Amino acid sequence: MPSTRPSVLRSAVFRRVIWACAGFVTVAMTLLWVVSGTMLFRIDAAQEARILESITYAQEVYYGRGADALIDEEIADNGVLIWDDDLIYAVLEQENQLIVLRNAAYDPVAGFPGLYADVGWHITQLDHPEIEAPVRAYLEALRGGETITIAEFVPERRFVILEFAWAITFALILIVLPLALITGYLLSRWVFRRIDGISDTAAAVALGQMTQRAPQSDDYDEFDRLAGGINQMLDQVAALNANIEAVSVGVAHDLRTPLTNIGGRLELISRDRMDAAAVEDHVTAAEGYLSQLLGIFDALLRLGEVEAGKRKAAFDAVNLSDLAQGMADAYAPVFEEANKSFSAHIDPGARISGDRELLEQLVANLLENAVEHARDAAQVGLTLRRDDEKTMLIISDDGPGIAPANRARIFERFYRADASRATPGNGLGLSLVKAIADLHGAEMTLDADTPGAVFTLVFPSLR
Amino acid sequence: MKRRCLRDVQTAVDYAKSLQTGFCVMNILIVEDDTENGRYLERGLQEAGWQTVWHNNPQAAMLTLSGRVFDVIVLDRMLPGMDGVDALRLMRGANITTPVLMLTARTSIADRVEGLEAGADDYLIKPFAMSELIARLKIIARRPKKEIAKGAITLQDLTLDRMKRTAQRGDLLLDLSPLEFRLLECLMLHPGQVMTRTILLEQVWGYRFDPKTSLVQTHMSRLRAKVDKPFDVDLIRTIRGAGYAIDAP
Repeated sequence: MPSTRPSVLRSAVFRRVIWACAGFVTVAMTLLWVVSGTMLFRIDAAQEARILESITYAQEVYYGRGADALIDEEIADNGVLIWDDDLIYAVLEQENQLIVLRNAAYDPVAGFPGLYADVGWHITQLDHPEIEAPVRAYLEALRGGETITIAEFVPERRFVILEFAWAITFALILIVLPLALITGYLLSRWVFRRIDGISDTAAAVALGQMTQRAPQSDDYDEFDRLAGGINQMLDQVAALNANIEAVSVGVAHDLRTPLTNIGGRLELISRDRMDAAAVEDHVTAAEGYLSQLLGIFDALLRLGEVEAGKRKAAFDAVNLSDLAQGMADAYAPVFEEANKSFSAHIDPGARISGDRELLEQLVANLLENAVEHARDAAQVGLTLRRDDEKTMLIISDDGPGIAPANRARIFERFYRADASRATPGNGLGLSLVKAIADLHGAEMTLDADTPGAVFTLVFPSLR
Repeated sequence: MKRRCLRDVQTAVDYAKSLQTGFCVMNILIVEDDTENGRYLERGLQEAGWQTVWHNNPQAAMLTLSGRVFDVIVLDRMLPGMDGVDALRLMRGANITTPVLMLTARTSIADRVEGLEAGADDYLIKPFAMSELIARLKIIARRPKKEIAKGAITLQDLTLDRMKRTAQRGDLLLDLSPLEFRLLECLMLHPGQVMTRTILLEQVWGYRFDPKTSLVQTHMSRLRAKVDKPFDVDLIRTIRGAGYAIDAP
């Protein structure tokens, strides 16, 4: 088991959370400043436009009707300089404009004397003991050194917007980023814990503890699915391992026995060298064992070929009805000879996609299984039913059947219900049947409720 | 049943010799790199009365083939420096049409299909019985073939009408099942030749698996019960350890 865990800070989840949050903060700040900048610009532009409009009007009046008319119309109160606090506050509240007309000596002639400005635009403060609010002012030179200045208070909402923007900026930097760090850290710690459970299992299995399984919660989230998948894989590996063990035992037993017998017969041949009849007998027996041995080899190789799925490339449309009928015709006399009655019920025109040679082997193995294992005078049946969806092949006998304890195992390699191995066969026939059925996508069942053995294969029909 | 035993040859040879006719010397080219198996092949085929030339590499075999005509070639699948299938393609490419029987240690269906597609006439998996090899070689060997009537085959007093699908022996019309008819037809198309169980399975049933039950024997005994039992002379013979044959006329 790995003793050192990689740091959380190097975790992919952590780093991605940090990057995502940094990106989010950047985008949010950019948006914020673009929007508030636009709003400020529009506020300023509107104010400047209003002031310029007033300046233009004042110029028109001044050049058209003279300075007094301008004072009368625009500044009012007959040239009195305004220094009235109330009026200033009213202007401040109503967002009205302040005006001051000065002579060439820059002394106020009319208007608000506390408004000072240079030529052009200025942000400035009024010369007033109480009012600190900034004003936006514009000074225009008139004839003979006279100047007119018009100003407005900078609107309150401009400050509100600025304050708001700064507040959000600080909030993003000071709150969201630390929050992201904490979230990232916790999230990756949690992911680490889930992953560690799985990788510990993998490491343990790699070290040979085949029974270890990855922990699963009840949430059925993606980690549970991953753990479930790995556990399924491990179960499959364990099953394969068990199978290999069974095969090794089978190979050891089923191959050693005939080999031992052949060895024995060879020894007997050298001992009985003078007795021609006895030698003949030994040779025949040895040949029998040899062919038994070769049969096992062939079946194992065929099984390997089928299970590797290589034959799938050679699949073709096979008329299963014709195939089954041919098999029924071929095996009917064999059943009769074996003192068993045999009947076939075959729907015509059943076509499936498959390998003819392997399908023949499948049917033959099942029929031969019935020949060998059904009781004397048993009723053996071969039935083929088809509809548009599926084609059902049933091979049945009515006794003695397969004991419930053996049913689950009869498709295993070398498994034989008869532990004494007194009956002929190598325990590979039904394994091959199962492998061929699997290759053809056929569902294979062994009916448990009948007195005999009923093998049902359901193939997908070919239209 | 794959049995590797020279005793089979004896019986098969005894049978061939007993026929006196239809047994002519065949020239066989063996291409096999395994010394043990090569020796076995040579001895078995020579004891069957045939002439053999044995090469252990395909290049030498090609050289020999350019100067001499053989009746049949026995070609091993795995050869030094060259796959037997490639060697066969080379022969067929060089217009050598001599029938070829391929020997292989591989049992996969795909291998057999590949060999037959490359131009092999037959395919036999090691280990095999010598009688099986001889029977198969006789079937594929290039020999002056007697014209076989499309309509009827006659053998002594047995007549097979291939159009009407009926068989008659003497005056008696035999009541054969379609399978029994095909079995008899297969024997009669190769009179005087040993037909092994596997050959019959392939040619009559089209099966390529090895039945654990006595499928061929059962059908054969039924056929014989109809063809031979009611008559004085038996036409179908059992060749011990090899197969069946029907006597040549």
